[in-house]
Amino acid sequence: MKTKIGIYLILLILILSACSGTKPPQSSPDGLTHIRLPMGYIPNVQYAPFYAAVELGYFTEEGIELEFDYSYETDGVALVGANELQFSIVSGEQVPIARAEGLPIVYVMAWYEKYPVAIISETEQNIQKPEDLVGKRVGLPGLFGANYVGLRALLGQVNLKESDLTLDSIGFNQVEILAAGADDAVVGYVANEPVQLKAQGYDLNIILVADYLDLVSNGLITNQITISDNPDLVGRMVSATLKGIKYTVENPEEAYEFCKKYVEGLEDADQAVQMEVLRTSIDLYQTDPYGYSHPSAWSNMQDVLIKMELMKSEINLEEAYTNEFSQ
Amino acid sequence: MKKPWEILKRIGFILISLLIGLWLWWIFTAYSDIPSFIFPAPDEVWLKLLSVIRDGSLLYHTVVTLQEVLWGLFLGLGAAILIGYILAKSRLIERVLAPYIVASQSIPIVAIAPLLVIWLGPGKFSKILTSALIVFFPVLVNTIVGLRSVPRELYDLMKSLQASPWQRIIKLEIPAAMPVFLGGLRIGATLAVIGAVVGEFVGADKGLGFLVNVGRGLYDTSLVFVSVFTLVFLALGLYGSVVLLESRLLSWQKKNNGQ
Repeated sequence: MKTKIGIYLILLILILSACSGTKPPQSSPDGLTHIRLPMGYIPNVQYAPFYAAVELGYFTEEGIELEFDYSYETDGVALVGANELQFSIVSGEQVPIARAEGLPIVYVMAWYEKYPVAIISETEQNIQKPEDLVGKRVGLPGLFGANYVGLRALLGQVNLKESDLTLDSIGFNQVEILAAGADDAVVGYVANEPVQLKAQGYDLNIILVADYLDLVSNGLITNQITISDNPDLVGRMVSATLKGIKYTVENPEEAYEFCKKYVEGLEDADQAVQMEVLRTSIDLYQTDPYGYSHPSAWSNMQDVLIKMELMKSEINLEEAYTNEFSQ
Repeated sequence: MKKPWEILKRIGFILISLLIGLWLWWIFTAYSDIPSFIFPAPDEVWLKLLSVIRDGSLLYHTVVTLQEVLWGLFLGLGAAILIGYILAKSRLIERVLAPYIVASQSIPIVAIAPLLVIWLGPGKFSKILTSALIVFFPVLVNTIVGLRSVPRELYDLMKSLQASPWQRIIKLEIPAAMPVFLGGLRIGATLAVIGAVVGEFVGADKGLGFLVNVGRGLYDTSLVFVSVFTLVFLALGLYGSVVLLESRLLSWQKKNNGQ
């Protein structure tokens, strides 16, 4: 009886041990490396560089077969940290937060130069600078993520505290909440909510966080295992993505057309509004050179996160990002 | 009345089962390659539990969610009992309203919750309503079934005794429908927790659902585990309360069955 129990236990341990956290990238029948890429949001024209890069064969030229995955950003970070996936698109603040918790992720390519978060309000609210937020009711998706970090960074730059205003967690309903007048201002992505609201005839004031502080923004991450075991793959992934970004900056209309294959309902949407979303997001891309991460943006981000108590102490930022693959 | 020894035996089995579960969990985390931010070890979760108890945040967020759940239960139950009684008494009204009621319950609560935030604002009421909506349907169905299960002969008996409508409700319909109704309440009590948490996932700055989001956002999976376990205990507590209520309210049933 004891022997039987022991055997079953050993079998159980063996089965559980086989649940390895390490998954190397798979090869497709064409010999291409299959990469599943979490995008962090729903299909959207803002991902035009990736759609264009796939359609123009940039990834294929680099031996990569790309699959888009529209799961949550934090799930993408966790899966890359566990080496279940090799790459993910993330907002910059995720990297120091995750590394502080022991996730061995590394930011290898900057996509956005400017942090895309903005405070959006109707002109009649007269919120033209951060100081005008005192006493106001501000809606944001939640007390986490890029929108919250951006708001707190902005408040910190002008010595305001969260308690100087009232925050409402409204989910991703910024357009509806502002249109209904439920809040005086909302926090959102400058390329998204303001464009939609202006298209509906609203006159807006927009305060862009990036005008007050450089913060590391959207980019591509991988993990330490992939960098050490397969640096060539990282280089190829970054190269193809940068080509897609460059193409989109130089050919926005053509890049927009590629989006129609990947963004369901885009054909039936207001084309002018969606094109404007893309153009506004392109304005945020202009890293110089493409893909380059500024050290000051990283130290600013770390300072903000520590003040927000989202990180307990500083991490070695030199291990958190590298410009090696974008040069 | 159960003997003390039988109660102790039952508690003992539960404790042994929990200990085996904890041991398997420890083995899994100790011998697998899965990192702790994906699946933390029991001691990490325990330390996080102590931390959030110490700083008062677990109690604060639990109370918020509990308030939403209780108000949601109250609202959902009240609406379900009232509408259920009307539908039980009138087949015509039931036929008219049934498509709307069934259709409303077919819409996933995760799809409705963001709409409630837009319509009602991000405050507590949208969470209470999410909770009430998820409780409503099972309690409604059980109320209708319970009331319709009252034997026709008992109505005739009440009529022969010249009972008033109010006496009929209090002395006949409520006691007769109670077993089935309480079955629906058991389901509703646990669903109410799900409803409140879904509401908090969509847009909240407090509550256990919010705490899960914070844990996810900070890759603090131990915090996610602590929040989820607390939700489980909350749901179990509510379920247990209904079982206790059932044993009190239906004690006459056991007496009649010779128990």
